[in-house]
Amino acid sequence: MTFRIDLSAKFAFVVLLWVCAFTLPWEYQAALCLLVLAGRFAVPSFRPQSERSSAAFSNFLLYSMAVAFFVILLNSILIRGGSTYGTILGFMLHQEGLFFGLKTASRLLLLTYSILVFFISTPLKELIRFLQQKGLSPSFTLILLLTLHFLDHLPARIHQIFLAQQARGAPVDAGIASRSKALLSLLSPLVLSSIVESIDRGTALELRGFLNRPNDANRVAASTAGWNLLTMLLLLISTIILLAAIYRWLLG
Amino acid sequence: MSKSIRQRIAEELTGPALPFVAFCIALNLTVGQVTAALKIPLYLDSIGTILVAVLVGPWSAVFCGSAANLLAAAFGNPTMMFFIPVVAVIGTFTGIIAKLGWFRKWYLVCLGGILQGILAALVSAPISAYLFGGVMMAGTDFLVLYFRSVGNTLMDSVLYQGLASDPADKLVSYFIVFLLVKNLPQRLLARLHGAGNIRTPGRTP
Amino acid sequence: MAARIDISALSLRFPESAAPAVDSLTVSIPAGTCVGIVGPTGAGKTTLLHCLSGILRKHHPDIVASGNIRIGTESFAGIPEDILFPRVGLVLQDQFVQISGVRDTVFEEILFTLENMGAAGADSDRRVRSVLQSLGIEHLRDRKPTSLSGGETQRVALATILVAQPEVLLLDEPITALDATAQGRLRSILTGLKGQTTVLLSDSQIDFPLSVCDLILVLDHGRAAAFLAPGELPASGQNFSNVGGLDRWLQLSEDLRELSDKGSRVAARILKGLNLS
Repeated sequence: MTFRIDLSAKFAFVVLLWVCAFTLPWEYQAALCLLVLAGRFAVPSFRPQSERSSAAFSNFLLYSMAVAFFVILLNSILIRGGSTYGTILGFMLHQEGLFFGLKTASRLLLLTYSILVFFISTPLKELIRFLQQKGLSPSFTLILLLTLHFLDHLPARIHQIFLAQQARGAPVDAGIASRSKALLSLLSPLVLSSIVESIDRGTALELRGFLNRPNDANRVAASTAGWNLLTMLLLLISTIILLAAIYRWLLG
Repeated sequence: MSKSIRQRIAEELTGPALPFVAFCIALNLTVGQVTAALKIPLYLDSIGTILVAVLVGPWSAVFCGSAANLLAAAFGNPTMMFFIPVVAVIGTFTGIIAKLGWFRKWYLVCLGGILQGILAALVSAPISAYLFGGVMMAGTDFLVLYFRSVGNTLMDSVLYQGLASDPADKLVSYFIVFLLVKNLPQRLLARLHGAGNIRTPGRTP
Repeated sequence: MAARIDISALSLRFPESAAPAVDSLTVSIPAGTCVGIVGPTGAGKTTLLHCLSGILRKHHPDIVASGNIRIGTESFAGIPEDILFPRVGLVLQDQFVQISGVRDTVFEEILFTLENMGAAGADSDRRVRSVLQSLGIEHLRDRKPTSLSGGETQRVALATILVAQPEVLLLDEPITALDATAQGRLRSILTGLKGQTTVLLSDSQIDFPLSVCDLILVLDHGRAAAFLAPGELPASGQNFSNVGGLDRWLQLSEDLRELSDKGSRVAARILKGLNLS
């Protein structure tokens, strides 16, 4: 037994936040959002793994603030009921709409921040290996890892095809109709070359015995790792909150 | 005897299919570069999923779409996670109609695209309404706003917006995939499980 | 341990083609030898290698096959129905696709093969290190497999198959995109494999096979035009004009032999060095 913030604990934390997002009042959700944001800076396990992750976090923070603002504002204006809280640009802000907007926005922010902090602090390859240990088949694991490989090379290939098509006169700068035709002249060689490469790569994988690969190789490592107390604790709390919410709902 | 899901997936994921599905996931995530370079106002972010559905099969397409959304979330857009049910529906529906041979005729492709769009709108509406309050910070938000301002509920407004834009978007995606696959050499198609979805076996273009 | 290969009256025809890809081929390849399969494009070299690896039937289920193949103690009526890895290993022509792209280091890439075999255990590290050493690529063990040069990738691709210790190693046009230095390295590796593994390599040019192979199988429109040791080719008296460079080599060997017969020791040494004596 251990007590550490590993991937399973992070997953359990996301599950807990999701349960809270669908069961707790909006004020608690808003507080949890602030807690998650604070955790991103204060807890080493939740810090961004790279510059790119850090930039992605900042960009999404701005985007989410804008979304939350408009969700609250639009619902305050459009859902009428209860008292009014003044006007913005001639539009009245209604109590019912405001609270609906606050509920929706806080839920959305909590859900998205929990996912965001999980991903910015977890290298993708580590996540994929973890999923494989938990039972993801070798084929799906390979597809995910190969996707990361293609994501590194595809932009350059697209650029190459773009230049080649432009050189042979494809109307990449003309009107929308011509540019739409040019779209096909870009996608067609891309798809065709990918099928050819896929056949060769697939053959190479078959020739290395991949399709007959045993499933259990990586699960052995996971089963000897032992249980993480933190994971169990977080899942227990999630279960209690969920059961309490169901009980309250049944009572009406 | 009907096959288990595992068996169906294993049938679809032959050697060549594995890298092809990976390529299509990457395509979903990077096709925006192509449309941006050409300044075309299309998303086409399901084009890889549709390609897999047609050339490999529905189960692989569900995985393709879900994985693309998962990776998009991992790369800084966590809202994509919530639309995994939508891409799962896209993959399943497209795979089923591809098996029925709809991708052999252009008019069936168009009909399929429209139906797919309607289905996508129906599935995404509750997600957009309940989780996002109808606000996606996209041009379509104005449509939602308009529908709400004339007295419709949030859910209905989001649904009407989806029905107004999704069928057209999916129709275009379907047709592009149809044009991409219809002239593919048979010897290449034969190596992917969905070869029979493009043309009647024994016929060459 | 190397395996003997006996091919008896093998004929292969793709349904969409009128002409056979391989036509009544009968050859016996002793265990542990290195055989060069040469011929122009379309002669049936790749088809033959794919057939022996077992991938041909898998990818072309409707191929029409007749004859008999025996690899070691295992016999196949027609052609193998499934991939014979790890007993038979095939390195594809494009070595870059042989690299899986899903492992971060060369060491892990080679280990990937053992994982596929269910053999990734206590002994696997030793096996990978042994292969790295035998191919002279220990210095690449921590490098990213996709960042290597053509020659380095070729050796890593070879390592990914050799780690499985196949009885038969098939190489499809292995020197495409290799410079002279890389070809020289490959030559040394293949020479070192003689006796341990039966090697078949295909090439459309004669130069490389002549320098390393014990036997040369000349294919022409799917038929065996010749199956001889390199030194026996000049005396065969056959016309090999459609095998890249072979006629030129045979003319050269004839001229050198003439000089050697007249007492030229230089000519004799050159003949021996070219494996044509």
